[in-house]
Amino acid sequence: MSTVTFHHLPAREESRRTSFVGMVMALASWTMLFGSLFFAYAILRLKAGSWPPEGVAPLPRLLPFVNTLVLLASSLVLHRGARDEAEARIGALREALRGTVALGSLFLVLQLAVWVPLWRSGFTIASGVYGSIFYGLTVFHALHVLAGLAVLLALVPGARKGRYRSGRQNAVRLSAMFWHFVDAVWVVMFVAVYLL
Amino acid sequence: MADTRRNLLYAGPDFHAEQHIHPEPSSFVRRYVFSTDHKVIAKQFLWYGLFFLAIGGTMAMMIRWQIGHPGTAFPVLGELLWPESGGVMPPQAYASFFTMHGTLMIFFAITPILIGAFGNLLIPLMIGARDMAFPTLNMLSFWTNVLAGTAMVVSFFVPMGAAAGGWQAYPTLSTLVGQPGPGQSLWIVGIFFTGSASIMGAVNYITTVVRLRAPGMGYFQMPLSVWGIWLTAILNALFVPVLAAGVLLLFLDRTFGSHFFLAGAAVTKGGGDPILYQHLFWIFGHPEVYILILPAWGIVSDLLSFFSRKPAFGYKATAISMSVITFLSMVVYGHHMFVVGMSPLLSQGFMTLTMLISIPSAVFFLNWLGTMWRGAIRFTTPMLFAVGVVFVFGLGGLTGLHLGAISSDIYLHDSYFVVGHFHLTMAASVLLGAFAAIYFWFPKMFGKMMNETLGKWHFWLTIVPITVVFCGMLVVGYGGMQRRLYNADEYAFLRHLHPVNLWVTRAALLLGASQFLFVVNFLSSLVAGKKASENPWEVGTLEWTVPSPPPHHNFDEIPLVVNGPHEFSHPDVKGKDWLAQNEPIAAEPVALGAVGR
Amino acid sequence: MHTWPFSWLPAADVSQDGWRADALFWYTTTLCVIAFTLVALALVYSSWRYRARPGAKALYTHGTDRRSFAVTGVLAAIVFITIDMNLVRVSQHDIKDATYNWPTAPDTVRVEVMPQQWAWNFRYAGPDGVFNTPDDVVTFNELRVPVGHPVMLNLKSKDVIHSFYLPNFRLKQDANPGTITRTWFKALRPGDFEIACSQMCGWAHYKMRGDLFVLSDADFSRWMKEAEGDAKRRFDPADTEQMWGWEWLQ
Repeated sequence: MSTVTFHHLPAREESRRTSFVGMVMALASWTMLFGSLFFAYAILRLKAGSWPPEGVAPLPRLLPFVNTLVLLASSLVLHRGARDEAEARIGALREALRGTVALGSLFLVLQLAVWVPLWRSGFTIASGVYGSIFYGLTVFHALHVLAGLAVLLALVPGARKGRYRSGRQNAVRLSAMFWHFVDAVWVVMFVAVYLL
Repeated sequence: MADTRRNLLYAGPDFHAEQHIHPEPSSFVRRYVFSTDHKVIAKQFLWYGLFFLAIGGTMAMMIRWQIGHPGTAFPVLGELLWPESGGVMPPQAYASFFTMHGTLMIFFAITPILIGAFGNLLIPLMIGARDMAFPTLNMLSFWTNVLAGTAMVVSFFVPMGAAAGGWQAYPTLSTLVGQPGPGQSLWIVGIFFTGSASIMGAVNYITTVVRLRAPGMGYFQMPLSVWGIWLTAILNALFVPVLAAGVLLLFLDRTFGSHFFLAGAAVTKGGGDPILYQHLFWIFGHPEVYILILPAWGIVSDLLSFFSRKPAFGYKATAISMSVITFLSMVVYGHHMFVVGMSPLLSQGFMTLTMLISIPSAVFFLNWLGTMWRGAIRFTTPMLFAVGVVFVFGLGGLTGLHLGAISSDIYLHDSYFVVGHFHLTMAASVLLGAFAAIYFWFPKMFGKMMNETLGKWHFWLTIVPITVVFCGMLVVGYGGMQRRLYNADEYAFLRHLHPVNLWVTRAALLLGASQFLFVVNFLSSLVAGKKASENPWEVGTLEWTVPSPPPHHNFDEIPLVVNGPHEFSHPDVKGKDWLAQNEPIAAEPVALGAVGR
Repeated sequence: MHTWPFSWLPAADVSQDGWRADALFWYTTTLCVIAFTLVALALVYSSWRYRARPGAKALYTHGTDRRSFAVTGVLAAIVFITIDMNLVRVSQHDIKDATYNWPTAPDTVRVEVMPQQWAWNFRYAGPDGVFNTPDDVVTFNELRVPVGHPVMLNLKSKDVIHSFYLPNFRLKQDANPGTITRTWFKALRPGDFEIACSQMCGWAHYKMRGDLFVLSDADFSRWMKEAEGDAKRRFDPADTEQMWGWEWLQ
């Protein structure tokens, strides 16, 4: 047997790249999932004569618009805090995580503030196609926001211990990718469901 | 044969990337239950898939019994299941059975065996890696599938029984209108979990192939088995989510009163569109049939080369053809919906795109024949099954032409012609491919050889009845018989087809009985099979450069690849007709700054 | 019914355009039989001629030389052009000349079809020529049409998806809840034929049988007159279920 040395990147960097590829594929899957839901929305809307259908009040726009800003802000906060920890000041990541979680939670609260009055007024998921689309899409998205919050919260203990100073940065980067993805889906959803 | 005498190249002790040699787990639970070792997970998937294959197969026997002998009790099992009707399968059970037969075979037999078991076994070993990119995710993928299987099995025992609206579950039959019981909802839960498991697996497989190939193993040095499984994983990752969306909306309709798919008399205000479901379903569904066949195509491409002792003819063209088909599979789904009422323009578009798939299919099929041409063919059991796949897939693929043309499809839609077509291409081809793979890689997985004599009997007693069964279906399909009929005697225009159906049933029962040869062979070989050497088949892919079965970490050192996977009968190689992928042709290797040894 | 020789051909085709499905089927089958016979011969020949024998060595080639590309390419092209493109050509003619060639003649008989679990409802417009009015002729599981005249159907299911299948006409058309689909046919011979359902619609899908009676002009007119009289007499304004019809979709 003969051996030949072969150059490649340090194990840690290889691992980062591998996780990145995996996350990209996972997000591709998720994109197809939300894409299919938007496809369903498009087909149902094209088939319906008017949108909203006759007799249904149009959706409120102010709170959802504020919510869009909230989520965008949360992504900004996360992005700035999750940069390579070696460069950032100590505690930057921890604060960023807290900020993102707070803003994300605010998003969910405001969503409830939109849904609950509508539901109570008789506009529910069973209110024909319009209600089905509205609640189906936005609630499903909100579940992903909730999942994203759980993922970010899971990083907090490690951030507190300073575990994400170089080396373990992977977990932060991947979680951030998911959070930004959920944010991007919301932007599309806001435009498609509320504006168009 | 001690491999210190062989001239194999390795990448050196410095090359460990993220593939450190982890210590083997010691507890029983970590070794055999929640294992993260791809080889163990592969075996788990294999047992799991074979179990559901047996269940799905038995259900098929019972369905055929009812068709061949309507109103007759099914022996033994009939009395147990339906004592009230004297052992005769009632029509409601029949509907459940064909629904669950399809569901279980697709998601719980084929997928776990070809993709779960062989994907897991082969990818790391064939590309020269120690394990998958995400071993924990791999473990989760198996157990998520088990949750799914549990949901499916439980659904048989709930009030009103398992889902009975066909495996496609078209609304409104699959909504509360047609399936008021919890069985259909449990089916959706099962699909959700198995879909998630598939996506987890897909992400893992894709990433592993992209990132963990050994040095020298470019994409076009990978065995075609890996190509097949990798392309399958890409389709899985992209299209299972579409199914997830479809069944999610169906679940919302069933559980929360939404109206995505509800229309007709059941709807009071603002209905949805049942055809939307069909679009979503088939956008997934057509890629799904390629998902199911691609691994078998890849495996057969390799096996034909291995046993013809000849390089795979047109290897690159085959890999590219499989990739083109993968892409085309995304844009042809409408050929399942020609009678739904789509616009003629849309239908014609789908017809033309569907026909395009013939080109890459013809290319790789011709390459299969080219591989055997002027070879020195060894007819071992795996080779027999591989040639069997060429035969049944050739037959089945051609019948796709009848279904791809709109005006012949309108008559053949939802008839037994369709059933014959997809069983030939999907069930027969995949099943024979699975057997080829099992006979071939059994020595590597379990360290023992399977019995060749039993294997050959198994082959002949399988290929003949399987051809009779599904060609018979083509005949009754053209004769006019629709699918999913509990008793064709209700129609005068079908009564003359009963003799054909009876012979199909008899052939099916023979097919079922012949599988016991495999069961006996598999189990007895596990216990008392001849011990397998490192490379009993004398082939060059990397899994055959390690012991049978391989150690936990696969490779002591990561191999350095210098050949393609099919270097057989090279004129400059003396004394043997094969080369390992990390075995240079010349006696002395070209050392590139050799360090260490 | 005999066990040998098998009788396995489809029901007699009595329609104007059913021959197209049969013709295309047999054309496709002939081409496929030729292609598959060649494949099978190649397989059998290779298996025998190139089996491993002592001293025999396989030819070392990756199939990447010019000649191999040419052979493969040409064969694939032949398959595509002679088979696929031919089938597309024939099918395009069929759908233009028949399937989507909606009848416009004034003697076209129009019928609304509403399948349900597990029966067929049919509606004729009646003397006023408008659907869903009190003078409509409504039948259950029986469709009567005159021979030699085009019959156009509107289909809409009451509950789940069904498919209207006339074996003697090589005709199938799905009927969906909520939307109207259309199809048409013309019978060339009188007789009694069967209607079947060809889309899984529940446990009694296998029993969803109807009768198609193709009548001479005289018989059809006589039946229609009688049925219209019956309809007028039997109309019950309180029975809303009876008014399941819809505005005709041309």
